[in-house]
Amino acid sequence: MGYMDKSLTYIHEAILKGEVTPLELVKEALLLAKEDTNNAFEYICEKEALDAVIKLDASKKNNLLYGIPVVIKDNFSTKDIPTTGSSNILNGYVPVFSSEVVTRLEKEGAIIIAKSTMDELAMGGSGTTGHLGVTYNPWDKDKKHQVGGSSCGSAAAVSAGIVPFALGSDTGDSVRKPASFAALVGLKPTWGRISRFGLFPFATSLDHVAYFTRNVYDSAYILNILAGRDDKDASSSFNKVEDYTANLSNSIKGKKIAVIKGIIDSISDKEVVKSFNVSLSYLKAQGAEVDVVDIDVKLLKAIYPTYIIISCAEATSNNANLDGIKFGNRIEGESFEEVMVKTRTNGFSPLIKRRFVIGSFSLLKENQDELFVRAQKCRRLIVNAFNRVFEKYDAIYCPAAPSIAPLVKGSSNNLSDEYLIADNYMAFANMGGYPSITLPLGFENNMPFGGNLTAKPFQESLLLNIAQAIENGTGLKDLVAKRN
Amino acid sequence: MKEVNKEVLVTSANKLMFDMSDEEYNNLLAEFDVIISQMNLIGDIEGVDEAIPMTFPFDVTNTYLREDVATPPMDRNEALRNAKDVVDGQIRLPRVVK
Amino acid sequence: MELEAIIGLEIHVEMKTKSKMFSSGPVSFGDDPNTNVNIVDMAFPGTLPTVNKQAVINAIRVSHALNMKICDLVTFERKNYFYSDLPKGYQITQQFHPIGSDGYLTIKTSSGEKKIGIERLHMEEDTCKQLHSWDFSLLDYNRAGIPLIEIVSRPEMRSGEEAAKYVEKIRSIVTFLDVSDGKMEEGSLRCDVNISLREKGSNKFGTKVEIKNLNSLANIQKAIDFEISRQSIILEFGGQIEQETRRFDEGSKETVLMRVKNDAVDYKYFTDPNIAPIQLSKEFILDAIRTSPELAESKLLRYRELDLNEYDSSLLISDKDVSVYFDEGLKSGCSAKLLANWVIGDVQSYLNKEGISIKEFPVCSLELGKLISLVEKGDVSNKQARDVFAEMIKTHKDASTLIKEMGLSQVSDENALIGIIKEVIDVNPQSVVDYKAGKDRAIGFIVGQVMKKTQGKANPALANKLILEEISRR
Repeated sequence: MGYMDKSLTYIHEAILKGEVTPLELVKEALLLAKEDTNNAFEYICEKEALDAVIKLDASKKNNLLYGIPVVIKDNFSTKDIPTTGSSNILNGYVPVFSSEVVTRLEKEGAIIIAKSTMDELAMGGSGTTGHLGVTYNPWDKDKKHQVGGSSCGSAAAVSAGIVPFALGSDTGDSVRKPASFAALVGLKPTWGRISRFGLFPFATSLDHVAYFTRNVYDSAYILNILAGRDDKDASSSFNKVEDYTANLSNSIKGKKIAVIKGIIDSISDKEVVKSFNVSLSYLKAQGAEVDVVDIDVKLLKAIYPTYIIISCAEATSNNANLDGIKFGNRIEGESFEEVMVKTRTNGFSPLIKRRFVIGSFSLLKENQDELFVRAQKCRRLIVNAFNRVFEKYDAIYCPAAPSIAPLVKGSSNNLSDEYLIADNYMAFANMGGYPSITLPLGFENNMPFGGNLTAKPFQESLLLNIAQAIENGTGLKDLVAKRN
Repeated sequence: MKEVNKEVLVTSANKLMFDMSDEEYNNLLAEFDVIISQMNLIGDIEGVDEAIPMTFPFDVTNTYLREDVATPPMDRNEALRNAKDVVDGQIRLPRVVK
Repeated sequence: MELEAIIGLEIHVEMKTKSKMFSSGPVSFGDDPNTNVNIVDMAFPGTLPTVNKQAVINAIRVSHALNMKICDLVTFERKNYFYSDLPKGYQITQQFHPIGSDGYLTIKTSSGEKKIGIERLHMEEDTCKQLHSWDFSLLDYNRAGIPLIEIVSRPEMRSGEEAAKYVEKIRSIVTFLDVSDGKMEEGSLRCDVNISLREKGSNKFGTKVEIKNLNSLANIQKAIDFEISRQSIILEFGGQIEQETRRFDEGSKETVLMRVKNDAVDYKYFTDPNIAPIQLSKEFILDAIRTSPELAESKLLRYRELDLNEYDSSLLISDKDVSVYFDEGLKSGCSAKLLANWVIGDVQSYLNKEGISIKEFPVCSLELGKLISLVEKGDVSNKQARDVFAEMIKTHKDASTLIKEMGLSQVSDENALIGIIKEVIDVNPQSVVDYKAGKDRAIGFIVGQVMKKTQGKANPALANKLILEEISRR
């Protein structure tokens, strides 16, 4: 019997009872990873993982992650394990240090069995732009659907039952969107709650460490491990860390939940709206007050372009260190300029380059006011609008996406309301740094879709409490795509 | 604002130390059409001009400063192990003309 | 047409903190390449900057010394450009809100005192060092990330002399505050000059020329003087000044063209989202100022109050380490004037002879002070003290040990001396008679005899006094 499709707590109990050993778990996960057909992995750490199991400190077996295989998105620096950010420019790069979150997981006894694929440098939402190509949705045996991105490989690994937990990152919705497409719980805590030391930056003011589990309890437990101040990250918060599992079963009676009208109105898929409404009835049944609230549609439509300008601008600067000189896939030239140009021309895909040009153009002195600074101003208006909702409500709740996962070869109308709002609104949680969680809502044609719940900064406990109430209502947890 | 045309984009790309194909410049021009029109719409939103630009998601002002204590440096071989051209403990480049 | 020069300076000061501006990598000068490098300094993906507290304290102290307004909210921007020596592809600097702004300093030139306005002072980080050979360049990241202070003057200087005095004063401030070793020839204090000429009385600015690579005060003055005459000649013949960057060639003592400047580079500045704004408390700022090392000017006042003359005082403060040596010596309680004479005289001439700095001088100043005190008490004579001093340099032993070893201590014990004096007078009664008869020279004979008996160790002043007393009793 396998364990990798079970919850963290289940596997932990099994270890404590002596039903299974960490070595057996790691072997199981490695075997599953090697059999993966969804292109979930950049690098399978077979030797490293087997070495790490042997070195496990048995006195720490009460730690929940003791001996548990995990997967890390390939934009987290891992010492002595290749890390490419799924970009050719970093082919061959083997970091000399580990991210703070990786160090914390390893201290708890987690065993890294693989680095997962992603959209190149986390700049994408489809899971199709990494240097290893498309990552598929494990729920679709025909391999026609995306799993979403940018944390595609991590989503695929958890939903395919290869590991019970995987680390991702979320700059616009890069964990919360794929969680919706893969029937997972995806949590992005408050900006600054988890140290980003060692996370390859995409857009610093929007980047968050985030992750996938298959149920809300596991999500809360992982947060207990990852949350906390780190002096190596000047943006990490000094706010007190709580026991995030403590309030999960609290009553949600009297909690006030806002549904944003403009977001629901932009969704055309009736199944999604229906299941969402059913989940609202679970919340009401448990005593929560649910209201439909308006936010100016102009502001909702502004979220995506604002996000694009800010993220591209920060990204072009954040990735300027990728020049092939100190590390990475250097290509020789006659001058240092030629080395840089050849390295970067060959190292980045066209999509990445276009985004860098957009970002750089927005930062030019004569353009800043109308592009970058205007986007920063609009960000303020957007966040103010959501803050006003949070003055009266404990959480905002909406579908995480307008539909099930799109087709790999699909095309979206980039100017439609549905695209501009329902497909991209979740970036508001990055702009305001709010903790935000996606969890399964239902299925359409055997493909999943999810809902998204967002709370005020540092209110992870309340957020997880309400999420638990939704999970209790839907009964949708520990979902794993069947293997073919 | 600078007019967006291919020449401007080529200059921008070259300043970012890369080249793109003609096809990509055309794609980019199309993308700029969309972005600029969206940003113009944003410019019409009431109050946007008066808003204070937001750099951080919320007020993150703190008082932390790192104590001035040096930690042991990286081993030199380790520091340079990811560089492709190393000579005498230093990274080599074609001669940099000042 | 009478022309005047408009000169502004940008000075970069490399700080001698223990760790770098944004990383805990060690700051060290002259070590093997790439042996003082931290992951942040090489811009490995995922590394993040953290702001060095001492660098902020240093910046506050220098800002205060330059009479600047201090901004209590510390923020940083990114200056984006690609270059071989720039690891991150951007430099972290303070573009929008420099920690110091709107100050001045006063310089003394041959034509009197002048106040020079200072626009801004900000913190930033150094680039890596490039070693160029004929066909390749080598990169050393030891320097990458070393904290820098950039000080930008207003264009208020009018001559090479003023500029040199201004830099001299800045150098004095940063060295006395222990912020930097201020060595221009080693690049820890770097100066770029912006210079343009215009018709006197006009309020329009002419075309600006930048001069780089100035590695001494003398060269700053020479380069500016040359540049003024070069530009004057062009303008007087109706020519145009090109906007360009020039460097000073030491051989020809001329400025030579490096490159013509085209458009101003657009650095695409924006606030670094990695560094949350840091609020400095009032106490923090005041404390930085209160605990600030003493500036040269204040030392000068203090020395004048110790009754040192202007010349000696200014010699002592011309080098921070000399003034520190002097101040240490004062702690022995010896006479300031004597100590100053020793430091400026014997110590300095030894340093000159050996070609070493005062930091390498083998005699610690407290010991020198003790030796001087012994001279003051009359335990040793001046001449003997010089011999002791020479031995101290050689043997590193302390003064009192050496005095004993050399058998030099004067007999200042009255009882011991009186015994000897009585003996001498007893056997020379004629001298007493002669003295009383008005022959003052007779006393000299007795002193001589006493000295002979004590092998020259009798304290001459004391002996003299005791002899007179003894004679009067007879």
